[in-house]
Amino acid sequence: MPFNSCFALVDCNNFYVSCERVFRPDLWDKPVAVLSNNDGCIISRSGEVKKLGIKMAVPVHQIEHLIKKHNIQLFSSNYALYADLSMRVMSVLEEFTPRLEVYSIDEAFLDLTGIAEQNPTAYGQQIRKSIWRNTGLPVCVGIGPTKTLAKLANFAAKKWQKTEGVVDLTSPSHRNKLMHRVPVNEVWGIGSQTTKKLNRLGITSAWDLAHQPVDFIRSQFSVVIARTVRELNGSACLSLEEVAPDKQQIICSRSFRNRITTRPVLAEALTDFCSRAAEKLRAQKSVTDSIGITIKTNPFNLNEPQYQRSANLKLNHATQDTRKIVSTAKYLLNQIFKTGYRYHHCAVQLSHIKAETAPRQIDIFDISANAENINSRRLMNTMDQINLRFPNSTALASRGFDKRWQFKVEKRSPHYTSCWTELVSAKM
Amino acid sequence: MIQSAKKSGGARPGAGRKKGSSIYGETTKAIRVPESIIPELKTLLETRKKLAQQVPDLFSTLLFPANHPSSIKLPLFTGKVAAGFPSPADDYIEKTLDLNDLLIQKPAATFFVRAEGESMLDAGIHPNDILVVDRSIEPIPGKIVICALNGELTVKRLTNTDGKITLAAENPAYSDITIHEDIDMVIWGVVTSVIHAV
Repeated sequence: MPFNSCFALVDCNNFYVSCERVFRPDLWDKPVAVLSNNDGCIISRSGEVKKLGIKMAVPVHQIEHLIKKHNIQLFSSNYALYADLSMRVMSVLEEFTPRLEVYSIDEAFLDLTGIAEQNPTAYGQQIRKSIWRNTGLPVCVGIGPTKTLAKLANFAAKKWQKTEGVVDLTSPSHRNKLMHRVPVNEVWGIGSQTTKKLNRLGITSAWDLAHQPVDFIRSQFSVVIARTVRELNGSACLSLEEVAPDKQQIICSRSFRNRITTRPVLAEALTDFCSRAAEKLRAQKSVTDSIGITIKTNPFNLNEPQYQRSANLKLNHATQDTRKIVSTAKYLLNQIFKTGYRYHHCAVQLSHIKAETAPRQIDIFDISANAENINSRRLMNTMDQINLRFPNSTALASRGFDKRWQFKVEKRSPHYTSCWTELVSAKM
Repeated sequence: MIQSAKKSGGARPGAGRKKGSSIYGETTKAIRVPESIIPELKTLLETRKKLAQQVPDLFSTLLFPANHPSSIKLPLFTGKVAAGFPSPADDYIEKTLDLNDLLIQKPAATFFVRAEGESMLDAGIHPNDILVVDRSIEPIPGKIVICALNGELTVKRLTNTDGKITLAAENPAYSDITIHEDIDMVIWGVVTSVIHAV
């Protein structure tokens, strides 16, 4: 008997907007959009907003007139809420398969091999109904013998309403019909540069790509794109990644609400970013020995003098201690800070990330470093545990107290699911 | 067995390195190991090599500590260690009660909602109480539900009288709402418990 794999991609529709709507029935049929950090750009749009022709990532100030005219409801991003609802979605999906890959905050691949072959579409509808019922979020389901085809099926399920949110591409005839209608840039893993080159070669639809000889694609592009061709033809090359790989680089970067002109205030912001980055580093049980910072003025404000600098330092021994990372970042800031500029953005970047258990060079000139290490781990561990139970309760004093540099979240919805004083109310 | 006519080729007895003659004083074997632990293994082998050369008999009696010792969680016993009579409760391992076990059947579908108003007083729901709402439960007549009524979340008891779906109040001062075509109503979840401070 031939072995046929079966994958599904479940993707939440307009995830952030849908999360906001769960608790706001008054907005179920109104145009709604969610803004990026600092309330700068549109990052999630309801169907009504898409119909108005508002594109993804448009700066808010460019569409003020449309927002007023159509009374578009705007929200600052409320990541605590989105993360909570995302975990609920993933937990419901686990009821449908033992093998799940959480692909992003609002998408997951399910391995349905040996589970859904009898009637994939019916199984997909069951998944959709269950997520709607349990969480109040609408999703679309794409099913296919490979991850690339499942992704393509999901695109179709989102695009064409009469699919009722589920598309099954397990049959080759369905595949052929659909691939003629899908432009090649909608295929998973085909970026804009590759699309340009493919178009020059006369390859414009997904069907065109699927019918290229694998060897030709490998020689013209890469082994990755060649694999995509095989996946489009139904032979599974990509397997489910049930355990997410650790990050190789951790970046924490923000734009400020108000411009910063002095070094102490910039240092406070930097301390906060370092603390967050170090927390993430310890959460994945890693250490870093390369710390970099970037500071810059607002490049869109041409009336102001512009300045942008980055600096990086390689440490003698890898660390995960917030204090060490902060002091390094501050040292770097002293090197690159210049007065007379209005700073708008800063970033901290930890690279060369390794597992904390990886063998390390011991500094023979500083034998005390080892003992320090054990104490530091204990302290950081304690701090992380306290912050887990009482969020943001302990921090380095150098982070400052008034957070003048904090970014804009003027339109944030309540923390409906993570704060007792912000629960949704119901009338009686 | 068929003897080969050729004299050359194949294994020859007595050829090659003598068994146990490696620098470690015993037979060696090729294995695949993760790249990240190569430096550690090299240091370890270096130590064994030195030891094998110094005191040939000692290495087999040495124990090397594990690099990543595993940990085992032990249950906590509460009895005091005393020289006198042992506590009769020592046989019972302490277990604490978790309210979540009592109030939440399905965490993924459970939300907390704050009640406002007085129309459900007779059902034991007071203003400012916290309602535990499970979205996964079937909203059958008789259940207290949260519904989206004309764009507003509302708490009422779902009833079915003579085939008419009604959102009933539990307070004589309030009237029931009969659902008809012009009313926009969607059930949001089923109330399973009320958390009320006294």
